[in-house]
Amino acid sequence: MEYQDQAWSLARYLLKDAAEAEDVCQEAFVKLWNHQDSIDRDKVKAWLMKVTRNGCLDRLRRRKPSEELGEWHAAATSDEPQYGAEHQELGRWLQQAINRLGEPYRSLVVLRDLQQNSYEEVADALELSLAQVKVYLHRARKQLREDLAEVRP
Amino acid sequence: MKEKSPNQQPGQRPDLQNWEDAINALLDGELDDQAAESLKAAASDDRALARAIIEAYQLQQALARIPMERAPASLRRKLADIPHVQRRKHRPFWFQPAFVTALAAVPLIIIAVALLGPQQPTSRDPTAAELKQAQQELAVAFGYLEKVGRKTSLEIGRTVNEEMQQSINENMIHTIQDQMEFNKERSA
Repeated sequence: MEYQDQAWSLARYLLKDAAEAEDVCQEAFVKLWNHQDSIDRDKVKAWLMKVTRNGCLDRLRRRKPSEELGEWHAAATSDEPQYGAEHQELGRWLQQAINRLGEPYRSLVVLRDLQQNSYEEVADALELSLAQVKVYLHRARKQLREDLAEVRP
Repeated sequence: MKEKSPNQQPGQRPDLQNWEDAINALLDGELDDQAAESLKAAASDDRALARAIIEAYQLQQALARIPMERAPASLRRKLADIPHVQRRKHRPFWFQPAFVTALAAVPLIIIAVALLGPQQPTSRDPTAAELKQAQQELAVAFGYLEKVGRKTSLEIGRTVNEEMQQSINENMIHTIQDQMEFNKERSA
């Protein structure tokens, strides 16, 4: 199963709840299986990310305000030996900053800057124009940069 | 936690704001040489712009270094099962394991009734030709039973675990062996 980590990562950032993220990913892959004949092979990843994200947004809409979950961050582990404590701390802080972003900014940062998808894939997944993706992503990056500047010496 | 949307900071220098698109294009590798030279020249005279470029670059690097969390094993197992589960769901009813099992049971029941049922008094003993014919029919029935049994266990094995499959195979083999032994005793 390709793209399972990407779908999982997106769902985790959006929902911050492992059980719900798992359900959403499973539903998305079942839909992918059932629609495999009608999906363009080159756009499978974007299609999957779109369905995963829509599933997450549906669940977020159904959540009551009191159910808003706390901060979540992925385990900041890496195989890279140079990924030291300072980077891990910065990574955790950035994950929290990403979680504070609203939509579609959070999805944009996850899909483009974390997962390194192309602008075209991000535009397809979020059903936005390329111009919209760039404008929104620039705003999101600027927000993160300003947040980062506040905590940096 | 309340989410916040990125907005322009009040009081930010408008000329710096104008460079934002160029900074992002630079990070995405989409800035042409001429525009890149302009940005570089402007940054050499403007500490705020230079700082903005450095911070944007540092942010990009930091984001790229955040490891992507791998999907948990429980999800991987569920995703790996999707093809089997979906195929089974969309299969015609006559290919459903329950139906195949029931089909396999039919000749078994017929044979069991014929061989184990109460012996009816007969007016005459079967001839040698009739016995041979009965043995041949029984051999065909056992062959069919074994074939269907194998198919049934394969179908079930796709959806349940290997242990269950082995158990079904053993039961089927025992049933066939018992029937064959009984048949031999009868023929003797």
